[in-house]
Amino acid sequence: MRKENLTRELSRRQLLKLGAGLVGVTAAGAVVPKALLKPDRVVEASPAAQDPIIGVYRHFAATDGWIYLPGANPPYHPDNLAPPGLTTYIFGFRDVTSIEGNRDLIFSQKMKCQLTSPMFWLDEWRNENPLDPHDNTTDFTLKLTNLGLQIRPDLIDAHTLHFHGFRNAIPIFDGEPHSSVGVPIARDLTYFYRARDPGTYMFHCHFEETEHVHMGMVGGVYIRPKQNFLGGASAPIARLGGSLDAAAPMGYVYNDGDGSTAYDREFALVMNEVWSLAHWCDSHVQLPEWSDYNPDLYLMNGRAYPDTIAPNGGGTDSATGDLIPPAGRPELKYQPLSSLITCNSGDRVLIRFINLGYVEQSMRLTGIKMRVVGRDATFLRGRGGNDLSFLTDSVHIGAGQSVDAIFVAPDVTEKTVLKLFSRNLAHLSNPGMPGLGGPMTEVHIYPAGTLGDQAAANDWGGA
Amino acid sequence: MKSSSLRRNVLLLSLPLVLAAVLLVIVGSGGIVTAGHEDMPPHGIVCTENASPDGKSAIFSLSTMTGTISLPDGNRVYMWGFSAGGDPFQHPSPTLCVTEGMTVTIVVNNTLDHDVSLIFPGQEDVLANGVPSTPVVDAGTGELISLAPVATANGGSMTYSFVASQPGTYLYESGTEPGIQVNMGLFGALVVRPLAGPNFAYNEVVVSGTVTYTTEFMPDEEFLLIFSEIDPMLHMAVEQGLPYDMNNYTSRYWNINGRSFPDTIAPNGAEWLPDQPYGSLIHINPFNDDPAAGDAYHPHPALIRYLSVGTENYPHHPHGNHGRIIARDGNVLIDGAGQDLSYERFTITLGPGQTTDEMFAWTDVEGWHPTENPIPVTIPQLQNLTFGTFYSGSPYLGATDLLPVGHQALNACGEYYHISHNHALQQITAWGVVLSGHITFTRIDPPLPNDCP
Repeated sequence: MRKENLTRELSRRQLLKLGAGLVGVTAAGAVVPKALLKPDRVVEASPAAQDPIIGVYRHFAATDGWIYLPGANPPYHPDNLAPPGLTTYIFGFRDVTSIEGNRDLIFSQKMKCQLTSPMFWLDEWRNENPLDPHDNTTDFTLKLTNLGLQIRPDLIDAHTLHFHGFRNAIPIFDGEPHSSVGVPIARDLTYFYRARDPGTYMFHCHFEETEHVHMGMVGGVYIRPKQNFLGGASAPIARLGGSLDAAAPMGYVYNDGDGSTAYDREFALVMNEVWSLAHWCDSHVQLPEWSDYNPDLYLMNGRAYPDTIAPNGGGTDSATGDLIPPAGRPELKYQPLSSLITCNSGDRVLIRFINLGYVEQSMRLTGIKMRVVGRDATFLRGRGGNDLSFLTDSVHIGAGQSVDAIFVAPDVTEKTVLKLFSRNLAHLSNPGMPGLGGPMTEVHIYPAGTLGDQAAANDWGGA
Repeated sequence: MKSSSLRRNVLLLSLPLVLAAVLLVIVGSGGIVTAGHEDMPPHGIVCTENASPDGKSAIFSLSTMTGTISLPDGNRVYMWGFSAGGDPFQHPSPTLCVTEGMTVTIVVNNTLDHDVSLIFPGQEDVLANGVPSTPVVDAGTGELISLAPVATANGGSMTYSFVASQPGTYLYESGTEPGIQVNMGLFGALVVRPLAGPNFAYNEVVVSGTVTYTTEFMPDEEFLLIFSEIDPMLHMAVEQGLPYDMNNYTSRYWNINGRSFPDTIAPNGAEWLPDQPYGSLIHINPFNDDPAAGDAYHPHPALIRYLSVGTENYPHHPHGNHGRIIARDGNVLIDGAGQDLSYERFTITLGPGQTTDEMFAWTDVEGWHPTENPIPVTIPQLQNLTFGTFYSGSPYLGATDLLPVGHQALNACGEYYHISHNHALQQITAWGVVLSGHITFTRIDPPLPNDCP
């Protein structure tokens, strides 16, 4: 709650209205609070606040790039301007935190963005030091640098990063450029958030959003609950929160108090789609008519089946700053996120579904029911404590929505493969190709004890 | 200070209007308390009301009209609509507001050269000229002619009536050639207020321990947004009397309250949109439930009533905060045992013909302040950023600061703006114009007292 009227303190307009312009500064000084006399044209920062790196820090770069998608839809796909082995022009982000400090190396990543964007996660603000009202161990800053578009030097577009779903956002950090600011080419902006509310969110560029989001500036972000660290009434501290108890869950999705959102493995699936014509238009200095929207490739973590089950990428090469492609799949260099779900029998497996395409999806898991425990970063529990979670084998998810679903892997004696795919069967193919494609992945269930812990979300645990 | 909602204005105006209505009823013309555009509040719901003096009934006379609406690509599209009483053409049709338990009578006078009818999804036991309203089938061919008895073309009329038994947000729309006629504009909203009071959406409450949750909203913060779409080829065919094949249906425009962004955020009754009187700007103050906050005490959320007359699901995403969905199709999300079934969403699915009631609030949780609690990062200098039209130049609520020379700034008093838009982003366009269509904004004023216009 703020009791002060900031306008009174800061607005020159207000000052004039108050008649301060009619009195001398000295006289005004005698009757007007000191703050009124401060110039209002400089954004004031505390003396030490020169972008200190506090809490969690990421540095993202926004640029264009090329990816590989299967099939053919002439003349738009593959794009005749694409480098060898690649097919589709995109806009996107890269995480350049690991080469922070080498601005030349960062700028050498121009035309090397990825689809989907780097995924990241935060721990909920725990306020562990109540004496410090701004305990910042979990505060989050993200610096965004605009590298420009290599293929479209005529497009001097700014970029932003919108944290889709973060509650009680203020415009300067919301990344919607009409209500705040955008980042021009070769400039930076640092966003700040205190992660107060756990759940599955997403982010995307909001500058000329119909084009930039469709071109691929989309990714997932999630906030892990403080219950991981603090435990709950009947929920032990999680392994992600420091527990060494092998029987403790890896983590929780929400602060449920009773362990009902516990999981052992987590996977995020960011859904979007590609209208090859629109991507071709961007590389060929044309504009699509968006009301003709007619995507021909539907993707999961930026890939179409069967590439969805190829390995994760190898991270960032510290010498070149470039991405290291997935093992044996050089054409997937800029699509580093695998969608393969691996688990042991008995594991509680969390799937964070995120839809940043423009069409609804209905994601079906064959053979096992999923329990939907959250939607739109909201725990499915009524204000009276009543359980609103539900079992399903098809998760409906609209554009700009997220769903948290947990399944328990059944007992198997040998590796068992299940399918997870979009039940909109018209999406489930790659253009011009026979057989299944598009937004499909697999769930590989191993006998208990086969796989090790995940190093991070979407990690295969040694499979 | 923003103006009070029309409902309050109506209360102020009610005595002469009721008198006029009574006089009109006496002379047999049927009176409608219709807001002229000049009486509209700048933002928020605009109600057309006409309750009887005893509060037991309401009667509305809706006449079909033809007109055109203005769209952001410069196009004008031929439309149909209902207007109350003798009002000129408007789009969408008037928002009818009644109170739970009233007997509602709607007289449709049809001047179009097509038969027209009305259906009232969510209302039970609707009568048409005194007999149950049921679908009309051609006695000879067995063909389904209409979903309700019609007011015949070129001067026919039909009187529909029902008891508004359940509070909520409802549609009324044409039941004849509905694919064409609803797209042409024959739709509007019906709001049924609960007996709990004008600032409540529903009567029901949820009790959880010592906390009671109601559906009370701030009296000046009630908004109603109807999402629609337009295929201009359909409209051209109707205007020229040509056949139209619904299999060719392709939406090109996506409107909220009959306007496409940026017109959506223009005030109610904006003079440059004479036939599209309803704005969609969500204009609120920060939530603050501390009674010691003085004028800044703002203990209830806003109520946003969403309706869709489109042909597909719209995923609507308000920036700034989640909204709590408290009802769907006029059904409050509380079960028979008093259990809370409401939920928060950052993207709300609006299905074809559905309505959704949302409580929305924004809280200044961080309390950023330029000197006492500055944001912990430095904002780059002016030449190193692009600036949005709605930005104040300052990150702080209630503060303004320098913007680049020549920048078009619409920020008035350091208020915050958050976009609120359809996340099927191909639908935030207008036939070639990007950043249009299903977009409106939420305006969050600095806490009261402020000097915001």
